[in-house]
Amino acid sequence: MELKILWLFDNLMDLYGDRGNIQVLKERCARRGIDCTVDTYRLGDDKKCSDYDIVFMGGGADHEQNLLYEDLLGLKDDIAYSFGKGTQYLLICGGYQLFGQYYLDQDGIRLDGLGLYDYYTEATTDRNNRCIGNIAVEVTIDGESFKAVGFENHGGQTRNVASPLGRTLSGHGNTADSGYEGFVTDNVIGTYMHGPLLPKNPRIADILIKRALRRKYGTDELAPLDDTLENKARNAMLKRLGVQPDG
Amino acid sequence: MGIRLGIVKALHAVLSARGHGGSFPGYVGLKLDKHFLERFIMPEQVIVVTGTNGKTTTANLIAESLRASGKTVINNHRGDNLNIGIASTLAAGSDLSYRIQADAVVLEVDELTVYRQFRTLQPTVLVINNFFRDQLDRAGEIETIIRRLIEVTEDFEGDLILNGDDPNVLRIADYAKKARIHIFSVGENSTSNQFDEAKEGTFCPRCGRPLRYLYQQYSHIGRFVCDTDGYGTIEPVVFVDSIDYDKGTFTSAGKEYRSFINAIYAVYNCAAVLTVMKALGIDPECADRVFRTYRLNEGRNEVFRLTAPCTVNLIKNPTGANEVLKEIMAHEEEKNICIILNDNDVDGTDVSWIWDCHFEHLRDSAVHEIICSGTRAYDIALRLKYDGFEDKLVIKENPKDAADYLNEAGMESWLMSTYSALHSTRAILKKMEKR
Repeated sequence: MELKILWLFDNLMDLYGDRGNIQVLKERCARRGIDCTVDTYRLGDDKKCSDYDIVFMGGGADHEQNLLYEDLLGLKDDIAYSFGKGTQYLLICGGYQLFGQYYLDQDGIRLDGLGLYDYYTEATTDRNNRCIGNIAVEVTIDGESFKAVGFENHGGQTRNVASPLGRTLSGHGNTADSGYEGFVTDNVIGTYMHGPLLPKNPRIADILIKRALRRKYGTDELAPLDDTLENKARNAMLKRLGVQPDG
Repeated sequence: MGIRLGIVKALHAVLSARGHGGSFPGYVGLKLDKHFLERFIMPEQVIVVTGTNGKTTTANLIAESLRASGKTVINNHRGDNLNIGIASTLAAGSDLSYRIQADAVVLEVDELTVYRQFRTLQPTVLVINNFFRDQLDRAGEIETIIRRLIEVTEDFEGDLILNGDDPNVLRIADYAKKARIHIFSVGENSTSNQFDEAKEGTFCPRCGRPLRYLYQQYSHIGRFVCDTDGYGTIEPVVFVDSIDYDKGTFTSAGKEYRSFINAIYAVYNCAAVLTVMKALGIDPECADRVFRTYRLNEGRNEVFRLTAPCTVNLIKNPTGANEVLKEIMAHEEEKNICIILNDNDVDGTDVSWIWDCHFEHLRDSAVHEIICSGTRAYDIALRLKYDGFEDKLVIKENPKDAADYLNEAGMESWLMSTYSALHSTRAILKKMEKR
């Protein structure tokens, strides 16, 4: 079996160690004998998201998001098409924001998003008033419910989210006080959780891999891996945040 | 009028005599008087050093070089670079009417807060080393740091010393129209273009197009240019034209200097110092004497004589950590590694930067075991697992247990620690030395 990953704007949207997510996907495929190739998409490239099984986009500073914005708009039709083909998207922070209606930055400048979903994001006007810190979330996805941890660092407040990824147990999430975090559909996992997300939350990594395998090979059997270290790292953070780890 | 100052000075004297330098006197001063910092009457030269990496070393080299030229200097040599540390330094170095008792003040100032103290401190010279990702959760984004520095330097009329090889730093020159700008740069050498490292700021800040690198030194530092608008075209006043890593020397303007540590980032620190010397009209020979004899600060390649040598380094961001990893890689003996990762406020509460570090450099360097320690011991262990070190991991959350483990192993070791664990761990290692 083989999975192809496309990493959008790896050299621009590369804040806060989000590259770790790619490393985790590769490693967890390799340990199960699944071939996994990772291509990068940079400004001006002519690769198509619809040719891939999983597409990843991380977060970047406002400055960097402005640079890639026009290029990204050019990908919109293919991304919409890829949804029908079952391509899976993992979008962190800025990547998550850009798939919505628009992003209004702290200087009041509006960037239209891809408009694929109804949610929109407005930055807090006070640069010192960001949502920053460790976060714990009760994630519900594909019939599974479990606790996830991450580190959020965003000024943007994302509203009108139809189907959040989970309920915030500690920290902020989509807005300073909405009580919900991220966004999930059959094709997309969007989240503010850096950390990076996948190392301490291997179940999310495996759900992504399963989704991709299911549509490509009609199977989602995944051999279990030894996640002792992953679970200890996550539970240490949950405990610190006063959240009971999963049994 | 110096009653409050008198209290602070007395506190400093008592604490210093008992071996506690520290920031507490400055804390008291600022508590008693919120205008405390503004009251000091500064000497003719006030040199402020800021940036992400190498502040402490560069500021200390400048202070020592000025002393070598015969000037009296006060400086925050231990790296207490926030408000209270600066207040402590100034209080200790002034008379009771707030007059600084020296020819010059040299201050390392935190890059995230320098915009607040800048006008109060009335610097005559501002040195900016570099801007890397560091503890971003305190500021949000590196862009904020640069913008704030641009704001406070727009009407700065002193000497502005800039690293011309850092595209983030050179941006300041576009806006600081009233300052006398002095740029330093380091030429291509045998370690240039060695690694493809995470670069930030590799796009032209003027036009947004990618910068072209003629050569890259480390991280995003190197000789860059924008082919569209010429950003990065510089005329350095100090240019290091060659580095000889076998001899530990470098040359600039036909003179050979010895670098205090044999590494590219140290040459940049030296270049910054030489540029200050030039701007102030001081003989560079004074700096060279300091470069030859300078001993690094605590936790900067500091060796402890345990059952086998243990070399301690502070790590706080990917760029600095990668330089330490390269140094470890250059030593072929079998060794243990220990990484203490804390996430207290001073360390930065976001530890995701470890995923931007190149731990894979360690794969070829005879690593016996890696001891993971600190408040985020499991995070660093997990990071290393995904870089292929799963079989070599040992977890000792308490740094004391980690140090014991290193000592009992009787093998050469390299210990890297984030800031908040550094001083306590050094104390533990020092005790072990005495046994």
